[in-house]
Amino acid sequence: MKNVKSNLDEMQEAKLLQIEHNGCWLAFWGLLAAIVAQLFIFGMENFRYLAGEWVVFMALAVYLGEACLRSGIWDRRLKADRKTNLIVSLVASVAAGLILGAVALVRYHSVSGAVAGFVICFAAVFAGCFLLLSLTAREYKKKLAKLEDESGENESD
Amino acid sequence: MAKNLKLKAARAGHDLSQQQLAELVGVSRQTINAIEKGEYNPTIKLCRAICRALDVTLNDLFWEENEE
Repeated sequence: MKNVKSNLDEMQEAKLLQIEHNGCWLAFWGLLAAIVAQLFIFGMENFRYLAGEWVVFMALAVYLGEACLRSGIWDRRLKADRKTNLIVSLVASVAAGLILGAVALVRYHSVSGAVAGFVICFAAVFAGCFLLLSLTAREYKKKLAKLEDESGENESD
Repeated sequence: MAKNLKLKAARAGHDLSQQQLAELVGVSRQTINAIEKGEYNPTIKLCRAICRALDVTLNDLFWEENEE
């Protein structure tokens, strides 16, 4: 493919990257908000109505996670350790449980259903999230060590 | 970030406008303006291009004593 010269200089490139960064996170959280709103509107039995949003959201999440792992990047502030994984899993599972419980309460007017929804969702999300974070943290550490080794080899050239 | 008055003075010393310097180093006028105002931290590549265009060293324009 012919290499087209960029119209932007380095400062404009940096600004464009910042704009794209903001747009990416707006899309991410906007999609999540849209999925939650549609859960309240259509209920959990009509998942096909929000399948499109869910597929795009998951694709975005998988891409971000995979790209960061490949580059040996975890997070700006959080560390890839057991304590962080526990806290993040706990926050995610409480949020997911509350949303699902609230959907059950609003849609089906059932307190016992809401409590059951909360408990099941909390347990499933906590286990899944903690397992996924533990596996990705392990992969991240492996990748980081590999990148460090490679940069060490290059330094001696 | 502090204003880069050294760059402004060197540019004025060569009787160049921001637009002319920008064209010499291949960036936009806004970028030169942002560097002079201390709003943008240029890459070493651009710093070198500016220094070559103004016939000065990196130390002359971009080194600050007691910089925190």
